[in-house]
Amino acid sequence: MEHIFPEVHWLGIRWDLAAILTILVTSIIVFVLAKVAVRGASVTNPTKMQNFLEWVIEFVINLIGTSMDVKKGRPYLILGISLIMYIFVANMLGLPLGIVTEAHHGSTFLGMDLVLPDGEEEAHISWWKSPTADVAVAGALMAIVIVLTHVEGLRRNRKHYLKHYFEPYIPFFPLNVIKEISKPLSLSLRLYGNIFAGEVMISVIMQLSWVGIPALIVWQGFSMFIGAIQSFVFVMLTMVYMSQAIVHEDH
Amino acid sequence: MDIVWSNFFIQLIAFGILYWLLSRYAFGPLLSIMEQRKQFVKEQLDNAENSRKQAEQQFEEQKQTLQQARKDAYEIIEQAKQTSSKQADEILQTAKSEASRLKDDAVKDIETEKNKAIAALRGQVSGMSVMIASKIIEKQIDDKSQEQLVNQYLNEVGSK
Repeated sequence: MEHIFPEVHWLGIRWDLAAILTILVTSIIVFVLAKVAVRGASVTNPTKMQNFLEWVIEFVINLIGTSMDVKKGRPYLILGISLIMYIFVANMLGLPLGIVTEAHHGSTFLGMDLVLPDGEEEAHISWWKSPTADVAVAGALMAIVIVLTHVEGLRRNRKHYLKHYFEPYIPFFPLNVIKEISKPLSLSLRLYGNIFAGEVMISVIMQLSWVGIPALIVWQGFSMFIGAIQSFVFVMLTMVYMSQAIVHEDH
Repeated sequence: MDIVWSNFFIQLIAFGILYWLLSRYAFGPLLSIMEQRKQFVKEQLDNAENSRKQAEQQFEEQKQTLQQARKDAYEIIEQAKQTSSKQADEILQTAKSEASRLKDDAVKDIETEKNKAIAALRGQVSGMSVMIASKIIEKQIDDKSQEQLVNQYLNEVGSK
């Protein structure tokens, strides 16, 4: 039986309760992590958590440094740290456990009808997943980054930003537009695809019951690796796109 | 692909809030702390560099002072040596001149005394010769008296 995500209709809009739940949980984990690290932070005697967070910050600073001048990239530092922590935690979130309930036709959640697939009386509902395994969530993160790159390009580097659509010659305009469209698509779909595929594989392996335990362990490890890599890649590409928008080389 | 659009906006809002919270309560303070640490380390390094320079300078000064002191001591010793030898020379010179003066004085005294003695002797001799001459002249008047005179002298000499 296929796992579906808990969906309700409220105010005429479809709401994915699992995504809302995990988005909230991820946000809270990230904030608490950061808050704990900063609590009692000191200049001369940092705590272990503070050291860890400072290491993350240094990591993101280096990441920015690979694509542009660190001074120019300074305003996006906090964005980069927030993104890498949020995406990493989100990618990890779906791995260790699953909360599955059975629901019958007509089941409700807080007085709202759970939507079941057509023609099925019963369904297994999975309440737990990586929020980034949802294309809309990955798309939202992508939208933040892409909108910001265009806004910053227009704001800080208007002439060169507009000119770059017509380079090297004016007929290249369509190609440049395709390039600008492919950026957000690849950015969001890469993240979504990797994490979603990992979750699908886990649910497939789970169906093997105990035979699949070794495979599950291996795949969990691999998924952690993928999750870390994807958060890294996402932030790196963010900075690369940002630098393409705001930096112009003097020829 | 089944897209639940509400997720998109929920994530957008959630990330916006998270970003605001993080920058306000977590990364803002932490970044300022990191900046402060950078400053702190820089200050410490500067301080260390300064103290090193100061120490070096003081060491140099000490060395110079020591050198100066050594030179002074050497000069003082040298001067003392010179003064002492000069003084010794002076003393010797004075002693020599004193001695020669004394000797000269003594010689002069002797000369004076000798002259005085000679003068006195000469006076006596001339007086005696005058006396003898007068006596002779006195007694030449007659032989008798001459004889008498000789006898008298002889007596006189004999009695003396």
